[in-house]
Amino acid sequence: MTRPRTTGLATFCFLAFAVQAIAQAVPDLVLKNATVMTVTHGTIEHGSVWVHNGKIAGVGATVAAPAGATVVDATGKFITPGIIDPHSHSALGNDVNEATSPVTPSMMMIDAFDNSDKALYQALAGGVTTELLLHGSANMIGGQAVVIKNKFGLAREEMLFPNAPRSIKFASGENPKRVYGSRNQVPSTRMGNFEVMRQAFEDAKVYRKEWDDYNAKLAKGDKDLKVPHRDLKLEALAEVLSGKLYVQIHCYRADEFLTEEALAHEYGYKIRAFHHALEMYKVGDKIAKDDTAIATFADWWGFKDEAWDAIPWNAVMSMHEGVRVALKSDSNDQVRRLNQEAGKMIHYGGATEEEALRMITLNPAWIIGVDDKVGSIDTGKDADLVIWNVDPLSTYARAEKVYIDGDLFFDSSLKGFGTTHFNGVMHTGGFGGSDDEEGGN
Amino acid sequence: MRSFVIPQQSEGICFSSRLISIGHAAAVALLLVTPVSLHAQARMVDTTPGSAAIAITNGKLLTITHGVIEHGTIVLQGGKIVAIGAASSVKIPSGATKIDATGMTVYPGLIDSETNLGLVEIESDRVNSDLVETSEEIYPQMHVYDAFHAETERIPIDRFNGVTNAIVAPESSDTMPGQDIFIQLAGRDRDTMIVTKDVALAMNFGQEPKRGGRGGEGGAGRGFPSTRMGEISQLRQALLDAQEYMVKKAEVAKKPASAKADETESTGRKGGGPTGKFDLRNEALLPYLRGERPVILGAYEGHDVEVAMALAQEFHLKVVLNHVTHSQDVLDKIAAYKVPVIFGPIYDFPDANERYDAVYSMPAELQKRGVKIAFASYSVEFNRNLPYAAGFAVAYGLPYDEALKALTINPAEMWGMADKLGSLDIGKTANVVIANGDPLDVRTSVKQVYIDGVAIPMETRQTRLRDEYMPKK
Repeated sequence: MTRPRTTGLATFCFLAFAVQAIAQAVPDLVLKNATVMTVTHGTIEHGSVWVHNGKIAGVGATVAAPAGATVVDATGKFITPGIIDPHSHSALGNDVNEATSPVTPSMMMIDAFDNSDKALYQALAGGVTTELLLHGSANMIGGQAVVIKNKFGLAREEMLFPNAPRSIKFASGENPKRVYGSRNQVPSTRMGNFEVMRQAFEDAKVYRKEWDDYNAKLAKGDKDLKVPHRDLKLEALAEVLSGKLYVQIHCYRADEFLTEEALAHEYGYKIRAFHHALEMYKVGDKIAKDDTAIATFADWWGFKDEAWDAIPWNAVMSMHEGVRVALKSDSNDQVRRLNQEAGKMIHYGGATEEEALRMITLNPAWIIGVDDKVGSIDTGKDADLVIWNVDPLSTYARAEKVYIDGDLFFDSSLKGFGTTHFNGVMHTGGFGGSDDEEGGN
Repeated sequence: MRSFVIPQQSEGICFSSRLISIGHAAAVALLLVTPVSLHAQARMVDTTPGSAAIAITNGKLLTITHGVIEHGTIVLQGGKIVAIGAASSVKIPSGATKIDATGMTVYPGLIDSETNLGLVEIESDRVNSDLVETSEEIYPQMHVYDAFHAETERIPIDRFNGVTNAIVAPESSDTMPGQDIFIQLAGRDRDTMIVTKDVALAMNFGQEPKRGGRGGEGGAGRGFPSTRMGEISQLRQALLDAQEYMVKKAEVAKKPASAKADETESTGRKGGGPTGKFDLRNEALLPYLRGERPVILGAYEGHDVEVAMALAQEFHLKVVLNHVTHSQDVLDKIAAYKVPVIFGPIYDFPDANERYDAVYSMPAELQKRGVKIAFASYSVEFNRNLPYAAGFAVAYGLPYDEALKALTINPAEMWGMADKLGSLDIGKTANVVIANGDPLDVRTSVKQVYIDGVAIPMETRQTRLRDEYMPKK
């Protein structure tokens, strides 16, 4: 996990040497005397967190760190797990939507991922350590997401979340209707939306059977088999049917949650999360039965017809109905202050601090499928940690230090561009915000 | 399944028929004061002041102008604040409705210095959008009051978080899109909600208004103006035309009545303007050329601010600067202009070569240099988050008291309302908010808003939906 702060100019030999040298040199880290908000086992006043080899090795009033550990005195400060945004279109440039067909399941966001997008750094400065980068909402079946750790300044492959489950993005409602309807193509109605999806899954069923039959025969030792044609689109959909891809659905209206769940039952896949989900407060009990989570806005509303019934109590009301609720940004702007978006849940609905914090840490981690690795301060989890100057759920909270896998990636006390990695890697440029079109919330 | 408790209902106890805890104040006050059924679409609220007094007792009063009163009492009567002070020192009129605000914060209604409230309902739907007249760039004769939809569902949601007054401006995509109104967020009809018509003239310069020419994307466009040069020459021409019109008009005014009658007869027009033509566009600019009202001069980058200010000075315009979020290099210059600034949006992305927190920390930098600042939501969707913009500025260095002023007394002064609004002072309009904590913090809930001393139903389209779908116990 330790890795050289390389500029990319190093030769392979130097790199190999550096890896070895630093792996031996990196001492354990102890953040001490802080209010530690663990998310899973309460808040520890005057607590410490011990980091060993990039993992959390201990957390509590005292920890058993070895002598020689680097100690950061965080007296008066707050420590939370790194914040997780389960819905982002950052770092995808203008390649958010392959808006040429309503069904494009073979699109891979990783092929568009631009690790130099300053929006990632701005999010990091807001304490965000993990993001799910999703296809936009132009297509009913959009494409496959990529999960990143916000290690801004490192190489593309070093920013990918290791072994994260794969997700695919679906979208329903107004957006596909608008995109294709304006071209006089199907879908131009919600009927059209779901017809397009059904046909896609019918095709995928045939494709999957073809391959299942082939593999069965192959396993029996049959010779002279004709290898079926590989179709990337149908292959991805077959993986949805087999439950190998998490399904993330852009969806606003209560009736559509029900239609989407019915479709999932019809074809035998599970929906991991509804994104946006502004009307979940109307049908939360039904959706909770399927263990489908939501990734919703704290208080967005009224920007389109299907957001007209949005209420800021949605998240907490849905939570009380048993739905696993995450807050998300869908915005290069709001991703910088998801902690305050969570703070609004205390205002709207009377959430506890822990419930509010869970909506931006452990619950989004579950939606992405990495809740066994991140999202809480527990021994054995990745040391993705944020030190805040004051209570992170207040308006006045600023991230002071952000660690990912135990490594410092953001430090507000540094002048200039403010991070060791960033300073080491880039000499010019800045933090210009990306005005790229969002994913079409 | 857990039962869900609305904070409004969970706090406070009714002590007696006369002493009302603020948890129930909305409903009770509604029954006492307003002839509106609870089931009505409570968008329009008659705030015609009655004679009954309301005494808000034991709250922490943020007066703005004379500090914080820790256990204070404020009395509202006849639409005004009639008494304020330490609880022990204020005499409560007999028969007053007492509101116990123990543990609560009481402060003047907040003022949003730029919104598009009432000009659009659903942003993606152009049919209900009156944000800006897109057919012309120079349209000072466009009056927001002609389009303002007082019954918008957005107003109750905005005031639900303590905003009681706002400037409504047209969308800022044109160099001179029209004249703003100053509104109060409750009233029996449009006319009572519009406090001041044509309170200021919107003027924009820089990247944003180039829509006519460059599609807002920096690409080559077909319309004029497509460059900053074009924008300035367009603005200058409009102001020169109006100056000329003003001179001619004065000449006509000096002529004997018979001559004027002849002229009107010969042109077939009435109205008394030069050559008989009453020109709406030029007329609209006259009060601004005379410096009677401010232009709101919008520019983001330092060099844009300098150019726009040079033009304003050339015509001796009274200026309120707007935005300035990327003007870090000219902070001292902005201070030297001695003009107030509406700052924001504070969540503007930093430009290339700006630190991640460059925009966040600018209000503090401006305030340090003696600039009077106000905050704005610049929104129809996020108006209710106005107080958090000020709080965010506090997080990045703006003193707390100054942040509060930037939502209250500073805009009141900018918009000529300081004798009526912006602080808890005797004689001012009783626009008062009670909240369960720090008004700038996202965790705080507003419990009761008074406008003209009338308890506003704390009900919105969103609370109605919330209550309708609340799980039954």
